[in-house]
Amino acid sequence: MRRDYDVAVVGAGLVGAAIAYGLAKDGRRVCLLDEGDIALRASRANFALVWVQTKGHGYPPYAILTHRSASLWSSFAQEVEAETGVDLGFQQPGGFTFALSEEELEGRRRILDEVQAQPGVPDLGSRIVLRNELISLIPEAGPEVVGASYCAKDGHCNSPRLLLALHRGFGMRGGDLLTNRTVETITAGRDGFSILGEGEEIQAGKIVLAAGLGNIRLAPMVGLDAPLQPLKGQLIVTEKVRPFLHYPLVNLRQTDEGGVMIGSSMEDMGFDTSSVVPVVANMAKRAIRLFPLLAEANIVRSWAGLRIMTPDGFPLYEQSQEAPGAFLCNCHSGVTLAAAHAGDLAQAIGRGNLDGFGAFSGERLRVQAAQ
Amino acid sequence: MEIFDVAVVGSGPAGMAAATTLARHGAHVVLLDEQPAPGGQIYRGIETLSKRDPALLALLGPDYARGLDLIHDLRASEADYRPGSAVWQVTPEKQVWYSRAGVSQGVAAKIVLLATGALERPVPLSGWTLPGVMTAGALQILLKSAGVKATEPPVLIGAGPLLLLLAKQYIDAGIRPAAVLDTARVSKFSALRHLPRALGATGRKYLAKGLSLMTALRRSGVPIYRGVRDVVIEGEERVEAVRFVSAQGPQRLAARLVALHEGIVPSQQIARSLRCDFIWDKSQHSFRPVVDSWGGSSMPGVLIAGDGARIGGAVAAEHGGRIAAFEALQQLGKIGEGERDEAAFAERRAQQGHLAIRPLLDALYPPPPAILNPHDDVIICRCEEVRAGELRAVIALGCQGPNQAKSFLRCGMGPCQGRLCGPTVTEIFAEAQGRSEDDVGYYRIRPPLKPLTVREFAEIDIDG
Repeated sequence: MRRDYDVAVVGAGLVGAAIAYGLAKDGRRVCLLDEGDIALRASRANFALVWVQTKGHGYPPYAILTHRSASLWSSFAQEVEAETGVDLGFQQPGGFTFALSEEELEGRRRILDEVQAQPGVPDLGSRIVLRNELISLIPEAGPEVVGASYCAKDGHCNSPRLLLALHRGFGMRGGDLLTNRTVETITAGRDGFSILGEGEEIQAGKIVLAAGLGNIRLAPMVGLDAPLQPLKGQLIVTEKVRPFLHYPLVNLRQTDEGGVMIGSSMEDMGFDTSSVVPVVANMAKRAIRLFPLLAEANIVRSWAGLRIMTPDGFPLYEQSQEAPGAFLCNCHSGVTLAAAHAGDLAQAIGRGNLDGFGAFSGERLRVQAAQ
Repeated sequence: MEIFDVAVVGSGPAGMAAATTLARHGAHVVLLDEQPAPGGQIYRGIETLSKRDPALLALLGPDYARGLDLIHDLRASEADYRPGSAVWQVTPEKQVWYSRAGVSQGVAAKIVLLATGALERPVPLSGWTLPGVMTAGALQILLKSAGVKATEPPVLIGAGPLLLLLAKQYIDAGIRPAAVLDTARVSKFSALRHLPRALGATGRKYLAKGLSLMTALRRSGVPIYRGVRDVVIEGEERVEAVRFVSAQGPQRLAARLVALHEGIVPSQQIARSLRCDFIWDKSQHSFRPVVDSWGGSSMPGVLIAGDGARIGGAVAAEHGGRIAAFEALQQLGKIGEGERDEAAFAERRAQQGHLAIRPLLDALYPPPPAILNPHDDVIICRCEEVRAGELRAVIALGCQGPNQAKSFLRCGMGPCQGRLCGPTVTEIFAEAQGRSEDDVGYYRIRPPLKPLTVREFAEIDIDG
């Protein structure tokens, strides 16, 4: 069998691009396949957070993975920036989730404690910050804000530039980015995979499915299952305003370019990505309660994307038993986990076994489903 | 939420004619428009002008005064005309959200009729973002709206009827343009094959008008440079000079005010945001929405009329507005198909007369290659200051199309919502990747279509 590439990664969003960038490091021949300009692209609708504080509530392996990736992010960013010259705008000053009532704050306290108390979870550096201290850090916080949860590992970056840098870095490491190449069929052969799309066939030793919701269609071709659901997230962004917010919030942050992103609605709306007026209006209301000064800022754009949700909300990394060498990678935190994807996960895929990622196989979902 | 049979967006000739026709036939119609008075861009400020400065109105010519009749009919009709209402989102469910005096509200309609007209084609040249450089249309609006006369004699650069008209209007107003730089490069002979069609009764009037404009311009003694290319607008703080090559060789003119014009293109924003189908129009060198002979778009219940459907000029737009209105009336059950067809017949016939000149104009004034595919150092996105070379660099990296480029470069993410860079970005992709414009596509357009404060959004009465 002819072999064009050692590894083919399907999906050039943040997940696929990070894995491909990591795989290309060790001299492997890697190609990264992507669809056209209009596609379901979670990577264009993410909130750019490197976020730890309550991730993995109820599932310690996810809290541990998230903490590890957030800890690796700084050196990851340095490596990518040095290699590509692209400024990722990464900052890790710690992040906040504001509470607008004592009840909300109590809820935050409980969830922080519960996450931290889980077995094996390292010290996350999270705590509750009361109003007086919060105001000294963020004077523009609104009068209704009673306090916040805080985690020192939280940060944010410029995610469109992260994707650009990963594409550029991947190319500089010798990888081939093949765009406008929707994968139609994948056939597992004796020593590799034949991938057909847009009339072109590629042979690769291994294949990584990182196509987000597209994995629902692709996974069965290599004996895998991707039980994913889209979860709509609405975002709005304001015009550039004077820098006033030096910490990211879970649902509001000021970008390095000056605009304020407001986000994180959760709607179960199928594959609809239209922007819904009442949802945006409610987000605007809450944003003003968090920061009254935002009232006079102009909103220049609102849009929505589809998060990629597994049934329990935790990532899915799995190698096919039926067609070894085929890997499934799905998560909804492509930014936070980028450092781990480009590092540990790419190495594991390169090795050919997902030791260390066993907790994230689909087995847990099959067990849950059977119960 | 208020409910209407039809919401018409835009009160230029198409929108005014449509709303008036709809109201006359008993449809409950709202007409939303951003401007303080009806008329659209073409008849802008005409009511005020007719009262305040009849002499200037006369000077602007009889074609301009035609708008007064349309406005009169609209005012006399039952149409609920709402000026100062900037539409910022139309939902697929046909809710139309708009901002009026700092307050946003929505109306629900059975049918949405888009009559949002045209905008000037962006003219990305070296130096086009310098203060003192504007579009010919903007300069003409200055003239129309307050009779404000630009203090400096402008250098007019480009091609097409509007540029000629503007030159003539300035001359008549007593300000001679400093120069006209004609960028048209087509051999007049190749355009001549379209001449016979243009020679119908109505077409002849347009031709006569065009010729008289050219004659007036020539007689005025304004320096005219032909075959102009390689235009560079120079200046530090503001425009100081224009450098170019004409048939006579390299030139340099001092300039304090420059107006650019290379024709107009359909306004795409609302129909794009609704994800209506668009098609590349080769002869007009622009995208236009796919519409049937009644103005019906690819989305049921969304009609598009006037220059927003295809560039045809003010009078053709007026007829197009009525044709779409008859279709809407039929869809609403107010008239039958027979009555619709009969009513539309005369409109179509008149419209054809006004459209007959178009192929000739399109052939005479194609946009010059330099603005379709600008040099690497030319800014293409004014809001975010993205240069053509930066776009070509990400295309070389494998960037698929306009939307990925928008994410990578912020190109089209500014307050203008990509209106000024969208056409150029598509052209550059098409050229660099050897693809058709249809294949490359265009930006996804996101609401709000006009910037809106967080407060205004927050204060929307959702249940109201």
